[in-house]
Amino acid sequence: MLSADLETEPEIIAEEKLGEIADIENAVDDSSRILPAIEFRDVHLSFDDKKILNGVSFTVRRGETKIILGRSGGGKSTTIRLILGLLKPDSGQIFVDGEDITHYTEEEMMRVRQKMGMVFQEGALFDSLSVFENVAYRLQEQGVDEETCEKEVRRMLQFVDLEDAIDKMPSELSGGMRRRVGIARALVGDPTIVMFDEPTAGLDPPTARTICELAIKLRDLEDVSSIFVTHEMNNLEYLSSEYATVNEDGEVIYEMEGENLCLINTEVIMFRDGEIIFSGKDEQLRKTDDAYIRKFIRGK
Amino acid sequence: MNPLKNFLFQLQEISLLVWRAFIGLFRKPRYFSETIRQMDLIGVGSLPIVLLTGFFTGGVLILQTFPTLQYYSIQNEAGRSVATSLVRELGPVLSALMVSGRIGSAISAELGSMVVSQQIDAMRALGTDPTRKLVSPRILALIFMLPLLTVAADIFGIIGGAIVASGLFNQETNVFITSVRAGITTEDLIGGIIKPLFFGLIIGSISCYKGLSTTGGTVGVGRSTTSAVVVSSIVVIIFDFFLSKAIQSIFDIGRI
Repeated sequence: MLSADLETEPEIIAEEKLGEIADIENAVDDSSRILPAIEFRDVHLSFDDKKILNGVSFTVRRGETKIILGRSGGGKSTTIRLILGLLKPDSGQIFVDGEDITHYTEEEMMRVRQKMGMVFQEGALFDSLSVFENVAYRLQEQGVDEETCEKEVRRMLQFVDLEDAIDKMPSELSGGMRRRVGIARALVGDPTIVMFDEPTAGLDPPTARTICELAIKLRDLEDVSSIFVTHEMNNLEYLSSEYATVNEDGEVIYEMEGENLCLINTEVIMFRDGEIIFSGKDEQLRKTDDAYIRKFIRGK
Repeated sequence: MNPLKNFLFQLQEISLLVWRAFIGLFRKPRYFSETIRQMDLIGVGSLPIVLLTGFFTGGVLILQTFPTLQYYSIQNEAGRSVATSLVRELGPVLSALMVSGRIGSAISAELGSMVVSQQIDAMRALGTDPTRKLVSPRILALIFMLPLLTVAADIFGIIGGAIVASGLFNQETNVFITSVRAGITTEDLIGGIIKPLFFGLIIGSISCYKGLSTTGGTVGVGRSTTSAVVVSSIVVIIFDFFLSKAIQSIFDIGRI
């Protein structure tokens, strides 16, 4: 097709050819975003006779934040443990960046975990290590030199606004500070997927807000895909209606979605007894007629 | 799960844990500095209680046996009786029981606390194998240090026996020492070193398994700690019987 055209209108054909090349380049860029970051397909899991997950299916797109709501014991934290490979499902499939990790061995999962960060409830910091050693943990295990470790640790602690605590031990930190150090530790290595397992549980509202702001910064400024497990409606409010930008002075500011902007990169799923009973936007969640969901949102 | 099934399941899990810990020694990363740290904690840290145990065990052996030996006019063999009892049996077993109580409980409590506070999960999420990082150094340190602790206990036991023999029964020390030297054979010494090697493996593997399989929060940590000490102590005692028989058969000891 191209060679026949070359004999008649070379300039037009050259332009078409350049256009085709540009289309191909765009397609290559876009295809990396077509694959979901995380995908569950009909996952089932039981412990003894208790059904924990019953046919759970959902996806988390690139750069999307999925908020998982539900009561305690509903299967939320189990979902995260399955993605990390800490548990194996009884049936179904789990994909991370298009890779089927369902039956991966522990050694194969080590490679997949390099691109994931996990923020545990209450931080799960290593008691016998300082803040520096906790945050540098992954790098030190990989044998990275001390200078690079320090630089990276300071960068992460600056992100969570805790650089002054670098030499402290976890026992000297408040609950909120421990969570923030946990976030810094999870972000070392610049993971593309971050999971938060009830990171604001037990924290006062201002500190919980700080944690949510960190999650918003990751979503909007670092293009990280994330799962945010929570049962607190305030967190849903922050994550689904605010976005982070950088002003002219280089400061991060948080603005509300409004008439000019609607957040499309945050969705909500709700678990009940191991099943997903809602999946969609927060506006749809608030307008639902489902009595269970209305009671969960309003608390009565 | 019925008791037999439970026992077999735990035996399987402990065996798999030891296998993974052993295989991990041949792959990078290797945690050499952590192993040295554990050897210090286990070896140097347990030395005082092991020496005390050995010393007073040697002393009480002489206290109890000397009158009987004297009755049969073979009190000059007191040194031999203490030395063979200590080196073949009491030194390895009592040292193992002391270490099981001190170190076994510490290992299972530490690992159990890490499990309930999700530190083990965090370790795995950060790309570290907990078996290689936590279990291998501890088991290796116990296998290295328990024989050394046992030798120290034996020496102090003999010293304790000598002090009691000369202090309470007026036996000359050189008579006691001569009897000790006549009583201990190379086979006794080898057997007395082989036993602590196995005991170290038993204490390390059971304590690590109990710690890593903790469930039920802080109450669970207490339960698994108690279980680690009790189970490893019982297994040491039972295993000692079969190991003693095997050593006797190999080295032809105990035949008249």
